[in-house]
Amino acid sequence: MSHSPSTSMPLSMPSLATQSLGMSYGARLVIEGLNISLPSGQVTAIVGPNGCGKSTLLAGLARLHKPGSGAVLLNGADIQRLPTRQLATQLALLPQEAVAPEGLTVTELIRFGRQPHQGWLRQWSAEDQRVVQHALAAAGLEQLADRPIDALSGGQRQRAWIAMTIAQQTPLLLLDEPTSALDLGHQIEVFELVQHLAHHGRTVVMVLHDLASACRYADHLIAMREGQIVAEGPPATVVTQDLVRTLYQVECTLLTDPDTGSPLLANVRRSSAVS
Amino acid sequence: MKTTSIKSTSMPFTHATRAALGGNDPVSPPQGYWRFAWRHQQGANSVLFEQRAVVVNLGLFGALLVASVIYLSLGSVKVAPTTVLKALVGNADMMATFVVQELRLPRLAAACFTGAAFALAGILMQTLARNRLATPGIIGIDNGATAFAVASIVGIGVSIAPPAMALAGATTAAVLTFGLAAGSGTQGYRFIVAGIGVGAVFGAVTQLLLARVAIDTANAAYPWTVGSLNARPSGALQLLMLGLALGLTTALALARSLTLLRFKDATASGLGVNVKRRRLEVLLLSVALTGLAVAVVGPVGMVGLIGPEIARSLSSSRGVPLLAATLAGALVMVLADLAGRTLLTPIEIPVGIVTAVVGGPWLLWILMRPQRSYT
Repeated sequence: MSHSPSTSMPLSMPSLATQSLGMSYGARLVIEGLNISLPSGQVTAIVGPNGCGKSTLLAGLARLHKPGSGAVLLNGADIQRLPTRQLATQLALLPQEAVAPEGLTVTELIRFGRQPHQGWLRQWSAEDQRVVQHALAAAGLEQLADRPIDALSGGQRQRAWIAMTIAQQTPLLLLDEPTSALDLGHQIEVFELVQHLAHHGRTVVMVLHDLASACRYADHLIAMREGQIVAEGPPATVVTQDLVRTLYQVECTLLTDPDTGSPLLANVRRSSAVS
Repeated sequence: MKTTSIKSTSMPFTHATRAALGGNDPVSPPQGYWRFAWRHQQGANSVLFEQRAVVVNLGLFGALLVASVIYLSLGSVKVAPTTVLKALVGNADMMATFVVQELRLPRLAAACFTGAAFALAGILMQTLARNRLATPGIIGIDNGATAFAVASIVGIGVSIAPPAMALAGATTAAVLTFGLAAGSGTQGYRFIVAGIGVGAVFGAVTQLLLARVAIDTANAAYPWTVGSLNARPSGALQLLMLGLALGLTTALALARSLTLLRFKDATASGLGVNVKRRRLEVLLLSVALTGLAVAVVGPVGMVGLIGPEIARSLSSSRGVPLLAATLAGALVMVLADLAGRTLLTPIEIPVGIVTAVVGGPWLLWILMRPQRSYT
C-alpha cells in the first residue's frame, strides 16, 4: 500500500478503465467492445434506457461478473488477477437494494467496511475506530449511530450503506442506482453525500436511471444504448435533444440551470406525439 | 493502575478498558465487545470477543457438562453424580467405574460429537443458503448418507466401511440436490423442494435395501436407520472426532467471512470475500460433517435444525453463532439420548425418534412463526 495510514483520507488517484470489454448473460451478449476510462476524482454517471447494459457494465467494473472478452483494468492491471480482498481495498461497491441482516445497527454496518483491512489478529485497531467515526460524521449519521438499520428512513439507510463504503477507504466507489427507491428529499441527501465524497478525492461511478439527476450531479456522463456507448463527456456538452431522443425516444426542450450551469430537461414528451 | 494496554511489558495480554471507564487508551472496543490488544515489534495486534457470545458459549458448555454428568449417572444402574466424578478418574468401585467408563462414556462421547457435527453442519448449510430450513437433514443429505451406509452394512457386494460409504452418500445427495436446483440458486424454496425430493428417494432406497435382506439383518440395521447410538460402527466415532476437530477449526477460521455471507453476494464480494470459493468450502464442510456423523448414529438431522435455532435465539444478530450452535447440538443430542434411554426403561427409544418427536413441532413452529429474514 502506498498511502500513509496517518492521513484520514489516504486516497491515491486510481485509474479504472475497460479494454474492449464484452459481457454476456448466458448466451445473450449484453455489451461488446467497450472502451471507457473513468476520470479520477469525479462523479461519473452511467445512464441509458432499461436493458441498455449499464448495470452489467457496473457489475463488470466491480468484478461481480467475469467479462466474456476484453478486460477491466485497475491502475493498468486486469482486475480478474487481483485477490478479492486486495480489490476490496481499492474499490467499494454499493449494490442495488442492499439488505442488512435484521437488527444490525448503523455503526455495526459501517464496521463491516473495515473488513478488508482487518484480520484475525487485527480485529479492531485505533485506525479502524477513527475511520468508522469519520464515516459516521461524513454521512451525518452520528445521531443515529446505534439505531437499527431497519428503523431508518430510506435516505438515512442509503447514507448508512454509503458510510460503510466510506469506512472501506477505497479510492473508487461504485453505486448501482443508489436513489432508485427514494423520494426527492432522500435522493438529494444521497447525491450531496456522493458529491462531497468526490470533492474529497474519491472517484465515484454510479448507474442512474434518471437522466435529470445525472445532469445535475455528475461531472462525467456515459450514455449507453443497446450495449454501446452513445455519448461520453461532461453533461453540459454531451446532453442534447438528439441524445435524449436516441436514448429514450422522447422529445424535450433543453434549458440551462441558472445556478449550476447543468442542463435541464423541460417539456419532455413522447416522440410520436410530436406533430 | 494504568490501563494503557500497549505499554505494559509485564503482562502480554492487557485488557483495554473503554475510554468511558476512565482508561486513557485511545481505542475503545465496539459496543458489546471486549478487546484485547498487545504490541509487538511489527505493530499492534488486537482481538475482539463479543461479550454476549462469551456468556452464551460458557453457559452452553456448563449446561453440557451438567447434562453429561446426569447422562453418566442415570440408566438401569444408577450411579450417584459424585460417584460419577470419582469413577471418571478411577477412584470409584469397579462396578461404577465399569458402568461409567466402559458402558456410558463412549456413548456419551458419540452423542456429544454427533450432535455437535449435525448442528455445525446445519448452521453452515443455513448460512450458505441464507435459509433457516436448509439443513442437511432437510435437503436430503442425511438420507443419502444413510442409504449408502446401509448398503454397505446389509451387503450388496460393496464392502467399504460405513464412514466412507456415508461420506459418499452425503456427497451424492448434495450433488443431486444442488444439481436439481441449479439455475435457481440455493435461495428460495426450489432448492428446499429439490432436497426434500432427493431425501425421499434415498429414504426409499434404504427401505428397499432392508426389504431385500434376511429379517435378522434388517432388524439389526433398523435402529440405525432411524438414528440410534446403540449400534456404533467401530472406528466411525474416532473418524468423526477427527473430522469435527478439523471442521470446527476451519469453520471458526472462516467465521468472519461467514458473517458477510449473510449479506447479498454483491455486498460480500465488495467487502473482499471470494463468495464462490467460500460457499464451496462451507458446502464441503457441511457435507463431510453430516456424512461422518451419520456413519456413527444414523440420520438424526433434526439436531441440525434445533441446535442452530437455540444458538440463534440466545445470540445477538451480529454474527453467525457457530460455536454456540455446535455446543447446543451436543447438548440436545445428549439430552435426547438420555430421555430415550431412561423414559421408557427397559425399552430404549432410538435417539432419532426422540429428536423427531421434539423437532417436528419445532419445525412447524418455525414455519408458522412470522418470517424473520434468516440469520
